[in-house]
Amino acid sequence: MQDFTYVEKKEERPLAMAYVKWQKFDKVYDELEKAFRIGTIFPELNKPFTGRRCV
Amino acid sequence: MNGQEQLLNNINIVDFTMVDLALFLDTHPKDRRALDYYAHYSQIKRQLCREFSKKYYPLTMAEADCEKSWSWGEAPLPWEGGCVHVEL
Repeated sequence: MQDFTYVEKKEERPLAMAYVKWQKFDKVYDELEKAFRIGTIFPELNKPFTGRRCV
Repeated sequence: MNGQEQLLNNINIVDFTMVDLALFLDTHPKDRRALDYYAHYSQIKRQLCREFSKKYYPLTMAEADCEKSWSWGEAPLPWEGGCVHVEL
């Protein structure tokens, strides 16, 4: 698997750039029914939109 | 929810978990813990589907009974109420 990590000084960074950090397998919800309702088994992806910003 | 709907709901939930794990495994094909979780839930789903097809009707042709009689056609059709409403 090619390594895509990319480090850059803050000032050189463009105004905006979407990013997705490399996910590490940490915890998963053990209550599958709850995970199903939330929509993910990964707590770190549980980001409900609260009307103005994500949690 | 009666027994049949509960069992189908459980199959649905385990299947959802497998899809989420599969999405992770797509980008992390060698992750030991993710592989173990996937094997674990895949095993459970197989058991639940076998149980469902014995008690009610087969969910896939592979599980259709072909000893006594062909059971694949026994599943109620979607327009005959075959689709179970999933409560979120």
